[in-house]
Amino acid sequence: MPHKADYDLVNIQRWMQSVITHPLGVQAGIESPAAQDEICVQPEQVEGVICPSRNRTSIQRLEVYGNAYFARLLECMREFFPATADALGVDVFDQFTLEYLQRHPSQSYTLGHLADHFVSFLETSGEQPDQAGETGAANWSDFFIDLARLEWTIDQIFDGPGVENDTLMSTDQLAEIGPDRWPHARLIPVVCLRLLSLKFPVSNYYTAFRRQQKPAIPTAAPSYLALTRKDYIVRRFTINEPQFTLLRALVHGEPVGAAIECAVEKVDDLDRFAETLQSSFKLWASQGFFQRVELTQNS
Amino acid sequence: MNIPGTGGARDIFHTGRPRDFCGQNAGMIARRLGHENLGLGVGLRTVHFTHILKNNPPVDWFEIISENFMDSRGRPRYVLDQIAERYQIVMHGVSLSIGSTDPLNREYLQKLKQLANEVNAFWVSDHLCWTGVATRNSHDLLPVPFNEDTLRHVVRRIRIVQDILERPLVLENPSSYVTFAASTMSEWEFITRMTAEADCGILLDVNNVYVSSVNHDFDPEHYIRSVPHERVVQFHLAGHTNMGNYCIDTHDGRVIDPVWKLYQLAHELTGGVSTLLEWDARIPPFEELHAEVLQARHHMGGQLDHLPPPVAAPDTPAGGSAVPHPLHYVLPDVR
Repeated sequence: MPHKADYDLVNIQRWMQSVITHPLGVQAGIESPAAQDEICVQPEQVEGVICPSRNRTSIQRLEVYGNAYFARLLECMREFFPATADALGVDVFDQFTLEYLQRHPSQSYTLGHLADHFVSFLETSGEQPDQAGETGAANWSDFFIDLARLEWTIDQIFDGPGVENDTLMSTDQLAEIGPDRWPHARLIPVVCLRLLSLKFPVSNYYTAFRRQQKPAIPTAAPSYLALTRKDYIVRRFTINEPQFTLLRALVHGEPVGAAIECAVEKVDDLDRFAETLQSSFKLWASQGFFQRVELTQNS
Repeated sequence: MNIPGTGGARDIFHTGRPRDFCGQNAGMIARRLGHENLGLGVGLRTVHFTHILKNNPPVDWFEIISENFMDSRGRPRYVLDQIAERYQIVMHGVSLSIGSTDPLNREYLQKLKQLANEVNAFWVSDHLCWTGVATRNSHDLLPVPFNEDTLRHVVRRIRIVQDILERPLVLENPSSYVTFAASTMSEWEFITRMTAEADCGILLDVNNVYVSSVNHDFDPEHYIRSVPHERVVQFHLAGHTNMGNYCIDTHDGRVIDPVWKLYQLAHELTGGVSTLLEWDARIPPFEELHAEVLQARHHMGGQLDHLPPPVAAPDTPAGGSAVPHPLHYVLPDVR
């Protein structure tokens, strides 16, 4: 027999949310403790809460919302991570994503935060107690984690704060900094600059995917990227480890001299590094990596 | 006065002053809450950004999904600012969650207000629904039971929202797939009382009336005749999917003939209000989208002999599932 219908709005809403977001479907949702805590009905009693229509049972009607909940969010996640979904295969991607969405349901008015924890979730899911984890070598799952990290970073840069309306530090301004002041100068990075240290060369893979070239999964190899946005387009720059270390130190607020010292620790060929240092700074300035230079009293 | 279907230039500016009053039965309520009839518009979708910026198509107005732009600091907002300089803009939200028992999100409301001011939105709308509870967001438009408790709850929240936004709220009847045993009144009765007690407007989604009428076994014409016409600020039109013994509001195709007939009735009863076509999945080229909303001119009286061939709702899609009111995502430009 149906139960009484005069449930409070808050109970109806908490009950319905528990029912339609249950990963095993509406019937399991109705029987779940979360739903039972709000409205204690069994599936065969649900007409006491949800009316049937002429053609559909109450359960069937609830299933429209139940089927749509994960379908809608999965579709959204596939759009956030098209290359990762393609590389994993949609079925496997959806399995990971279903688990992710249960652990991290949306709590924001915007879908823009739906995948905030996805990369860290993949990292946790990808942890394997094998020799790779102990030695720090890349394992198979690292490729997908790196690719997801690249896609999410691109997305964040694309619609995040940018500097399109700002005047950035030019190469001329860079050249005007005297050699004596240079070590103490602080190059303030633009707000949209991001640096990635990766175990797989996923940037090339991503490019090939965007060109619909059906790329093969590459062999593991450390790769480093600097990403920024110019004219509302996200730009990627492949850099080497010393350059990554240098830029990371600058992002952390180190003056140029200290940043170079950090980078030198990663350098095999010091002469070659010294030769390319000036051109690297010139390139980065020309590509809008730096908002401005701050010259301290020491400099 | 704007002539529907001829627009493009932003030649009307919202003053907030009533311009057009209904008859004595409506008391002193301004028709359309004083808003202009903006004509025939379409939903602004990212796949059309480039076309619109390049070609300046002669569209009367655009409706934006508020949440897609209120936090954007990239290309979507950059494009919107350009379009807002050329066209009339109306904001349509999907996360206000006016019916939720969770507290209203004040930060969200402040951002909504800021965006409305920045793009000079003619009005701000959302749905008579809840989207989540207990801090969660389902990103779906979930129905409320229509009873006295819900009415008091929703009216109180509408007033708060209107105080924050400093403008009347316009609420849409969502398509729905369940009804509650706890309901004690019809949807149209609830909307009538809600709009009177909260002094807000209606976004009458004609397709949603049709979809819900199939799902809930009511007469859609009775619904259209029963809502307070003077409070209807805007119409929505869209396509839906026929699932056999129910319908899903998929926004993925043309407007079907029965919906056009309801639109014609609604047009007659309201005297004509701003009309917008939503198309959110399998989005066609812009010209096709625009041509579809221009069909509305055939249903505004006097031209019914030039009706285009009738359209039927597509049947259940391959795979057997359809997602109501799908979401949007902007594919990043990347090099």
